[in-house]
Amino acid sequence: MNAKSDGDYARVRLLEEIRSQGKEWEVLAPLYGVTNPDPPWKTSLVGICESLSDSGALPSLERRHAEDELKDSVYGEVPSPESDLLALVHILLSRSLVTEDDLANRMRAVRARVEAV
Amino acid sequence: MTEQHTHTLGMHPPAPQVDEVSDYEILEIAVRELAIEHGLFTAEDHRRFTEWAERIGPTGGSRLIAKAWTDPAFKKRVMDNATEACKEIGIDWSEPTGFGTPSDYMNLRVLENTPKLHHVIVCTLCSCYPRPLLGMSPEWYRSTNYRRRLVRWPREVLAELGLIVPPDVEVRVEDSNQKCRFMVMPMRPEGTDNWSEEQLAEIVTRDCMIGVAMPKAGRTEDIRRPVHKARRPPQPATVQ
Repeated sequence: MNAKSDGDYARVRLLEEIRSQGKEWEVLAPLYGVTNPDPPWKTSLVGICESLSDSGALPSLERRHAEDELKDSVYGEVPSPESDLLALVHILLSRSLVTEDDLANRMRAVRARVEAV
Repeated sequence: MTEQHTHTLGMHPPAPQVDEVSDYEILEIAVRELAIEHGLFTAEDHRRFTEWAERIGPTGGSRLIAKAWTDPAFKKRVMDNATEACKEIGIDWSEPTGFGTPSDYMNLRVLENTPKLHHVIVCTLCSCYPRPLLGMSPEWYRSTNYRRRLVRWPREVLAELGLIVPPDVEVRVEDSNQKCRFMVMPMRPEGTDNWSEEQLAEIVTRDCMIGVAMPKAGRTEDIRRPVHKARRPPQPATVQ
């Protein structure tokens, strides 16, 4: 993980770049006149968390404790559910369940697909 | 397309949508794809839990309370075995796996408010919450600040949230945990004597069932509440 020191927590370059764009749903939705309080990917994020816990890869209680630490420190200024997503990915990276390079590459591929038409 | 269809579409323009894809949305897709490829879970697992998450919401709890207010026999069944009584309003706590979710222990207790006793729920450990009945918990409920302070200063925290509990009413904080979920049955408010279950359900909002608000005729929405940070963050233990 490319990280820089922040107290006792390591920051993740890729996640910092995403955060620095300020494209949280609560910012975007009013720009387009959308009143739905939640982004469309929120329930899918719940599905990821429950699936990880169900398989034993990341039990819910462990995730919640780590999430508490991250949301009260590194991602304290980010609203939910974006902070939930950043915290989850941060935990998966810190446990080497995914790597930052793989994630960055996959994000480029996903964006290319999404914007292909 | 018939003339009538054209006319109908003309009257109902499509709802606005966010016309850009944020990196958060891309990140969610990317991490999900990698997790499936790495065998952390299957696409079928994800579909099942996501569809469940789409189904749940606070209307289930609202209907349960409204029915209990109007049907004493049902209310007794709720107080005796709430998880079983939920099936009568179409909510099965064993969904979506047959054993519930990894985060929802299948044991619910409903706490009845009285003129001298007010309940409020919290989860000091994490964010345990009766999701099959109330949907996903609000962010303020999950915050460390609410969880730490409610158990220390319940009246003060309730007052901050807009609920002043008279001094002669006992406030009881119930701490949810991995073995039991709790939900508050508020008192039926005055002025609702001839209301239907549907009318009553409209005023039983999520916050009333957490215990941070009271149902009232004409009050059908919860306000958006601020999320306060904890001054002392949790000690790092599991995150590097």
